[in-house]
Amino acid sequence: MKVLVAVKRVVDYNVKIRVKADQTGVETQNVKMSMNPFDEIGVEEAIRLKEAGTATEVVAVSLGVQQCQETLRTALAMGADRGIHVKTDEELQPLAVAKLLKAVVDKEAPELVILGKQAIDDDANQTGQMLSALLGWSQGTFASEIAPENGTLHVTREIDGGLEKVDLKMPAVVTTDLRLNEPRYASLPNIMKAKKKPIDTMEPGDLGVDIAPRLTTLKVEEPPKREAGIKVETVSDLVDKLKNEAKVI
Amino acid sequence: MPLDTAALPEPLAQIHAVVGDRGLVLDPVDMEANLVEWRGMWRGKARAVVKPGTPEEVAAVLKVCNDHKVAVVPQGGNTSLCGGSVPFESGEEIVLSTQRLNRIRAIDPLNYTMTVDAGVVLETIHQAALDADRFFPLSLAAQGTCQIGGNLSTNAGGVNVLRYGNTRDLVLGLEVALPDGRLWDGLRGLRKDNTGYDMKHLFVGAEGTLGIITGAVLKLFPRPRHRATAFLAVPDPEAAIALLAEARAHTADAVSSFELIPRLALDFVLGAIDGTSDPLDGRYDHYVLMEVVSTATGESDLLEKTEAFLGEMFEKQLVLDGTLAQSDAQADALWKLRESISEAQKDYGASIKHDISVPVSRMPDFLKVAGERVVAALPGIRVCAFGHAGDGNVHFNLSRPEDWEDKPFLAEWERIAKVVHDTVAEMGGSISAEHGLGRLKREEVLRYKSETEMEMMRAVKRVFDPNGIMNPGKVLDA
Repeated sequence: MKVLVAVKRVVDYNVKIRVKADQTGVETQNVKMSMNPFDEIGVEEAIRLKEAGTATEVVAVSLGVQQCQETLRTALAMGADRGIHVKTDEELQPLAVAKLLKAVVDKEAPELVILGKQAIDDDANQTGQMLSALLGWSQGTFASEIAPENGTLHVTREIDGGLEKVDLKMPAVVTTDLRLNEPRYASLPNIMKAKKKPIDTMEPGDLGVDIAPRLTTLKVEEPPKREAGIKVETVSDLVDKLKNEAKVI
Repeated sequence: MPLDTAALPEPLAQIHAVVGDRGLVLDPVDMEANLVEWRGMWRGKARAVVKPGTPEEVAAVLKVCNDHKVAVVPQGGNTSLCGGSVPFESGEEIVLSTQRLNRIRAIDPLNYTMTVDAGVVLETIHQAALDADRFFPLSLAAQGTCQIGGNLSTNAGGVNVLRYGNTRDLVLGLEVALPDGRLWDGLRGLRKDNTGYDMKHLFVGAEGTLGIITGAVLKLFPRPRHRATAFLAVPDPEAAIALLAEARAHTADAVSSFELIPRLALDFVLGAIDGTSDPLDGRYDHYVLMEVVSTATGESDLLEKTEAFLGEMFEKQLVLDGTLAQSDAQADALWKLRESISEAQKDYGASIKHDISVPVSRMPDFLKVAGERVVAALPGIRVCAFGHAGDGNVHFNLSRPEDWEDKPFLAEWERIAKVVHDTVAEMGGSISAEHGLGRLKREEVLRYKSETEMEMMRAVKRVFDPNGIMNPGKVLDA
């Protein structure tokens, strides 16, 4: 079984996000970028499937600017076999990403595609679902456990009410939740080996996909600052403020 | 509730006249946090906790105390590790807290300096520097609580000493309240100032025995914009020190931290601290946490260069295995392994701790010899020697044998400390690298410093504090 894992390059989880002065987006110049943490979980899961003998090959794919190759190298250092980079400097929206991934899937013919449930930059949570619709494949989103068995994929999903278990017919699309696994550190020998693993580079045009944005961003602004709390002198002050200022009683 | 000032005995009435209701704490419950050493090793008493609101008030309080010959214990964040910041058990002293001196007075980005009150919390200084696109490098475990005045008074070290020096190296000027009530304004932001004795350096590391630091001019640096954090398995401490020498040369001296972690420490952390995991597959006896930083603006090839360097070291077998953080989150997780060691060690019974330094080149030798000697002195003792190997400072902490109780083990403290400190002295080291003397090592230091040096220290003390009111019984005999 071949497994395809999508990895997105995003602003590092620990970086304090700043909105650009012109309100067109967030600052990404000279900001530490890393692999989307949910995608890291996806890579880990794919490698575990390979280590368990279920998967035969793990292919990591990343879409976007030249530096996405660094993100692919991280996936390769963790243990993916090879990388595919669809290179573009254009803004990519979830639908375009799903279409590009579909084109890659058509070429590579994997039986399982693993994506993060969302990327921590735009939190869209759309790509996996769109991809499954475009492919006409089954989908198991927010997976906290997966187990392939004779052409069926058992998926445990984290939902509001608890855990839901579904059986998917393969091939399938899975999106990862936080508790699926704990990603490994890339070891030094593997980081060095990863340099020799192949990365295929192509452009959206090569895949025949139109990536023109369908949505326009009007404005990006910071959430309003929380006001500091105050101390009240007496209970009646408190009641008064709850009634007249906060208007909650 | 307002204080009944009419009933206050001297000198508290005069102190109250200086600092007002806000600055005087008499209720034992409210004083509690100021009287107890944070690990609970000492619990003192005091007549009052005084919290002046300005440097002038600090000086005026000292004058009152000097006139009445009342001993004063200066206190910052009270995170001292040698008991320097808590009063004795007599109850005759007053504690003077710098807590209310918490203003950042000025930042001069072009001069790369920041002028602060003594009571500003270290982490607040970090943030203020970052907000001005600058960096203040002093970094240690207590940074969310400790105050810069205490850092200066103990000449604190931490994890960035290797590249930036300890607190003494990070200060350009001081403002100090003297016991006789004068306030010395030495807040000069100069890197060159050869006009006689450098008085500020007497107060740095004096642990409040000469006066009270009320303000300081601190050095700032360009902000690190890229970091490469590696967790490496090394064959032995010799290899670690050789690796450090190579890394410093290779990176144009950009290694900011180089921390030694023995397997025992990693086992302690993995066993006691939630959310930690072993970064490597195999088990090794010795690890190093190394961080290289670059302050260069724009794109950086720091990660690739560090990778290439570590690849070379791997081939030379100075590194057996390792990982290089692929994200800041991973870097922080690696640091958590190092920073949790002290906390984790508590779960494995009492420990006898030593904060020692030796020349970096002698470190492997020290670890071997001191390790053998303490095991010979107390079979079964568990050597957990970790820390800032890059600057020659390790925390040579010894956990009790697994089948011992805490109490009898701690009763061995002096005997074991002598074994360790004698070994330190043989190798030209120091028995207190970054924690100071406080009350813990006041007697111990007499064995290792010459009478000439101790007499010079006492002579300085007499000049500034003839009545012996400043933190008596700390650093020197009362």
